[in-house]
Amino acid sequence: MNNFKQKIFNNSWIELAARWILGLTFVYSSIPKILSLDDFARIVYGYDLFPHVLINLIAIIIPFLQLVAGLALIAGFYPRSAAIIINVMLLAFTAALMINIIRGHEFDCGCFSAGQSGYAGSSEVTVARDILYFLCGMLIILFKGHRKSFNGGLSSQRSP
Amino acid sequence: MLVGVSVLLALVVNHLSPRGIDLVGQWDTAKGVITANAADENEYRIAEIDRVTDAAKIFYDGDTLFVDARSLGDYESGHIPGAISLPVGQFDEHIESFMNQYPLDQPIIAYCSGRTCEDSHHLARLLLEAGYSEIRIFIDGFPGWQAEGYPIE
Repeated sequence: MNNFKQKIFNNSWIELAARWILGLTFVYSSIPKILSLDDFARIVYGYDLFPHVLINLIAIIIPFLQLVAGLALIAGFYPRSAAIIINVMLLAFTAALMINIIRGHEFDCGCFSAGQSGYAGSSEVTVARDILYFLCGMLIILFKGHRKSFNGGLSSQRSP
Repeated sequence: MLVGVSVLLALVVNHLSPRGIDLVGQWDTAKGVITANAADENEYRIAEIDRVTDAAKIFYDGDTLFVDARSLGDYESGHIPGAISLPVGQFDEHIESFMNQYPLDQPIIAYCSGRTCEDSHHLARLLLEAGYSEIRIFIDGFPGWQAEGYPIE
């Protein structure tokens, strides 16, 4: 079993797939937010968790954190740091979702949109999905082998 | 480093973007309709009615048309008596017949679902762009009207 785990955690193709899945997902989810920061700010307000003075700043910075960390994962640029940033964000999103599920607060998670996506009410699915992404992030963080990167094609390099 | 790049990029893009928002928004419903203060929305400053009693006085004077910016379903569930439904999401479909019925100097009050709803502001902007000039926004909207015990239909 341990051998199997090691094979998974040290397989550079699986690590590459995890980086691309996570990277593309976060780049894709950042774009509608960046294009509509005011709508995303309303979604942040809808979480009903943050001080009013921070809502706009959160709405301005989070989408760009998603974009930069996502692009870094795809390019293999500081992949461990990017995965840590993404996992911290996933933990924060999941905690915010759980708090709202527990208190029965219906709201739009704003996960892949910045507008009225009608996503309210499916928070449990979102939490399950975030856990899967978190596991992808852990795989990237714990990877100890040679990472695939684009140095004139898909070559391997030592994990930074 | 990635965090620093992200924060810097975010602040620069937000500052340069025509759709950027203020660093601090207005998120206190006691002070008015919540808004992130987007740059493109600051071009329009439309008069707001922030007391239900003022809206009621205008209503009983009888010269002003109340326009409901909410969805048709919400409108049909209850609205201010005499109000016309003009859902902001279907503005293009309905504006022609609206303009055939009401002259451009018709005083209008737009409303929606209260201080967490911006649809009345969006509708008011669209009506301004269509040529209407006498527009105000009743920011407490239908919930505020109903809560104060004024008639509904």
